Amino acid sequence: MADGTPDPQCLIVADADVLVRNALAEYLRHCGYKVFEAATSDEVVIALEEGTLQIDALLADADLAGRYNVFELRIWVKDHHPGVEVVLAGNVDAAAKAAGQLCDEGPHLKRPYDPESVAAHIKRLLAATRGQKR
Amino acid sequence: MGAQTILVVEDEFLIRFMLADSLRELGYQVLEAVDGDEGFAILLTGQAVDLIVTDVRMPGTIDGMDLTRRSKSLAPARPVIVCSADLLRSESHPADEFLTKPYSFEALAGLIARLIGDPWQTVPQIHSA
Repeated sequence: MADGTPDPQCLIVADADVLVRNALAEYLRHCGYKVFEAATSDEVVIALEEGTLQIDALLADADLAGRYNVFELRIWVKDHHPGVEVVLAGNVDAAAKAAGQLCDEGPHLKRPYDPESVAAHIKRLLAATRGQKR
Repeated sequence: MGAQTILVVEDEFLIRFMLADSLRELGYQVLEAVDGDEGFAILLTGQAVDLIVTDVRMPGTIDGMDLTRRSKSLAPARPVIVCSADLLRSESHPADEFLTKPYSFEALAGLIARLIGDPWQTVPQIHSA
């Protein structure tokens, strides 16, 4: 950038559950990242193939839907975008922990709050939605 | 005072991303949903949402018009802007505003500022002596 400020590192948070995706993405934005939210592997492919978005890492849920399952997606990313780090998470706690580790390496080098708080927040949101749907 | 929160509901990834990113640049807090079902799930959590911007035609069981009606039943005063290329839908709709696609971001930002205010105006002004 012209003023010498580095561009923020860019991440994709890919999760089929909007409540999990939103919370993880917001946490990582507080850590200084620019975050793209993707609901399916197809959206991840669109983001990576778009060309102008400089993606540094992908945090993906193990149950991600779409043209590729998450393991096929990992292979596709490694083949087509080898510079993109892929982090897989199997559940909310693992995803929050992975987000916390990304935060430790992130532009701000500081966590806004503990990953355990992110996981607890997501579980509260999920419980609230399930309670409303009953 | 925190920034106003906007829920953006749009199934086209790049449009959703560009829109959400531009609104964040303006200082708004933005929640993203890929369809009406996800948008309604967010509303059901009780998270504070000050305004909704939604596409009309989307995959899933809830389209933009239905999402608008459901939002109005939960929070009648919460403004909703629907965006569609289908001019026929603009004649009768439950939303506060109808934006015809294609639209400029400036037009949308102006509508949002009119409906819920400009986030920069909520920041205390520092006056020099």
